[in-house]
Amino acid sequence: MNPSEVKKLLISSLNADADPLDVSGRLEKEGISYDFNKNFSEKVLDKLYSAGYNVTREVEFVKTMNFAFYRIALTGVAAIVILLISIFLMEGSLSFNSFLGLSDSYDESIVCLLTGN
Amino acid sequence: MIKGSYSGKTETELVKASLEGDKKAFGEIVTRYQKMVARTVKGMLGDSVFAEDIGQEVFIKLYYSLPEFRGEAKLSTYIQKIAVNLTLNEIKRRKRFFSMFSQKGNNEMFEFEVADSDNEERKEASEIVNKALMAMDPRFRIIATMRMLQGYSTKETAEILDLPIGTVLSRLSRAQDQLRNILKKM
Repeated sequence: MNPSEVKKLLISSLNADADPLDVSGRLEKEGISYDFNKNFSEKVLDKLYSAGYNVTREVEFVKTMNFAFYRIALTGVAAIVILLISIFLMEGSLSFNSFLGLSDSYDESIVCLLTGN
Repeated sequence: MIKGSYSGKTETELVKASLEGDKKAFGEIVTRYQKMVARTVKGMLGDSVFAEDIGQEVFIKLYYSLPEFRGEAKLSTYIQKIAVNLTLNEIKRRKRFFSMFSQKGNNEMFEFEVADSDNEERKEASEIVNKALMAMDPRFRIIATMRMLQGYSTKETAEILDLPIGTVLSRLSRAQDQLRNILKKM
């Protein structure tokens, strides 16, 4: 079957009135078939009936945790960026005093505040 | 417990024996349905080594959910539902991952290996099918996979995907339009 015939077959297979069994049979005849490796069944049984599967599940858990960590980390970074932007907009700079909220305070007023004199 | 050859046993007998802890009976279920699962998983995720892991997960999940299988539907339908759910979850997971950490496009999320074949024409045909499927939207790809690769009717597809027949028919039509556009560019 040449490429244009394959394309026609694929398109016609999605006709509502097409015979799906005929299409899948023809595609299989053309060598378009899928299967797993020869020892697939043994691999599944090994996973099920050996302790190894628990290890795999633990690895899956770690993967999930890593994914969750990335999401949390990204959210954190986004929050920090928003904070920096808001400080910059409110204080007009990103100096150390701006971070502490002291940018528009005089030294005397801080001493007064701390000592009460 | 079933003794002797398992190939002539019915689904019900194999399920019963598996529930009683018969490893070989479950092995027969895997052998009997692995090709069907491969068509769904590899049709949806691409013919890659990675799809094999999902295929294994399907049977592991089946094993743990066998006590819940009441035999109201065919075992093949039950397995197919598990395969579809796991595959769609995997697609969602990859989509999330790629949207966050990679600049890769939708089509590049899926890899596929073209089966070794001496026949150039067959190799080319296999490549066309794989590329076309991977370029489709997952909602339409699942419909195309059920139809083209599994040979399921509209009613069977609706049952497996838990969709009304009308929805399957409309997606079938939209899938055909999308496939036509994809194949035109190839």
